[in-house]
Amino acid sequence: MIYLQLFISFVKIGFTSFGGMSMVPVIMEEMGSHGWMTAEDISNLIAIAEMTPGSLGVNCATFAGNQTAGFFGGLVAVLGVLSPALTLTLAVAIFFTKFKKSPVMQGILRVVKPICVAMILGVLVTLFRSNILPAAGIDLFALGIAVLCFVLLRTKKCSIPAVIGIAAALGVVCYGVFPII
Amino acid sequence: MRSRAKREKTPQAASPRWRMLLQIFGTFFKMGCFTFGSGLSILLQLEEEYVDKRKLLTSEDVLELTTVGKSVPGVMITNVSMLVGYQLAGIPGGILAVFGLTLPAVFILSLVTYFYSAIKSNVWFACAMRGVNAAVVAIIASTVWNMGKDALKDKIAVLICGAAFLLCMFTDVSNILMIICGVLLALLWMGAKALTERKGGRS
Repeated sequence: MIYLQLFISFVKIGFTSFGGMSMVPVIMEEMGSHGWMTAEDISNLIAIAEMTPGSLGVNCATFAGNQTAGFFGGLVAVLGVLSPALTLTLAVAIFFTKFKKSPVMQGILRVVKPICVAMILGVLVTLFRSNILPAAGIDLFALGIAVLCFVLLRTKKCSIPAVIGIAAALGVVCYGVFPII
Repeated sequence: MRSRAKREKTPQAASPRWRMLLQIFGTFFKMGCFTFGSGLSILLQLEEEYVDKRKLLTSEDVLELTTVGKSVPGVMITNVSMLVGYQLAGIPGGILAVFGLTLPAVFILSLVTYFYSAIKSNVWFACAMRGVNAAVVAIIASTVWNMGKDALKDKIAVLICGAAFLLCMFTDVSNILMIICGVLLALLWMGAKALTERKGGRS
């Protein structure tokens, strides 16, 4: 019944995410509590979802579902993540003119958005620990790559796929070529 | 309530309905194939296709639909697709738009996962992924920065964010529970505000 479990997990993930990366913390929690994925897998998932076309949420769901239970797992996960669009948003579309004027959703977002920021900060701390401060101590190469990428993203306005490409090349040099020399 | 959808369909009345549906599916499928990162590039394509080329929607329509799509939970861009598809051709239009947009990602990601599993144990690939994982930390930090600028505009928001972060770090309260509590808190807050305003008006 892994398909049903996946579907339910991703329905939960879908209904509690509000744009962009706010889905990542809940994915991490659901995948972790079922023992489907580790923090490192989640980190890979984000990289892959950012590098491939399509929206982050759908990509994350497909990859996580696929990793957990094959192609149909991916399909089921995507259906779960689409469930808000296919139910709630459809209802909103039908009552669009009424909904547009309602301040309720705006009020909810004013509280939920800061919570999402906090949750993503939590993910940031977890991934910082697992990717840059592994058990052996501090990984200086990883710290250097992370700082460089952050600077590229903030000041040079580099696109995310470009930054991931640069980081991959640096990874090969730092961890593959450098130890051999 | 559907008058708006009907009104905007009239320019297309000459072409049969199934053709419109097919066209919606095709357009969203194409957008699903060629867009990276957040949904913003999809919005630009949406404007180009339906505002500039086909003149079925106005720029304001797209802006309005996007604002509403953002405020509904779920994947923002699939919400916007549902709203736009519905405006163009009712319920089937909305559903086809959502599936058109997501199908390419499902196929591409399934392929990628297949190769990822096959290549995962390769030494060089593992080295590259260690670099990429460091970059992911930077990407998330940058995203938090952008989201923070947007979401933390007043003191109450900062307070909520700080409290939620402490809960995240030092307790094992689940994220889903925190979101649900946030929604309830917001509803209570608005309810209380409405009540006091009504009382204030009377006295």
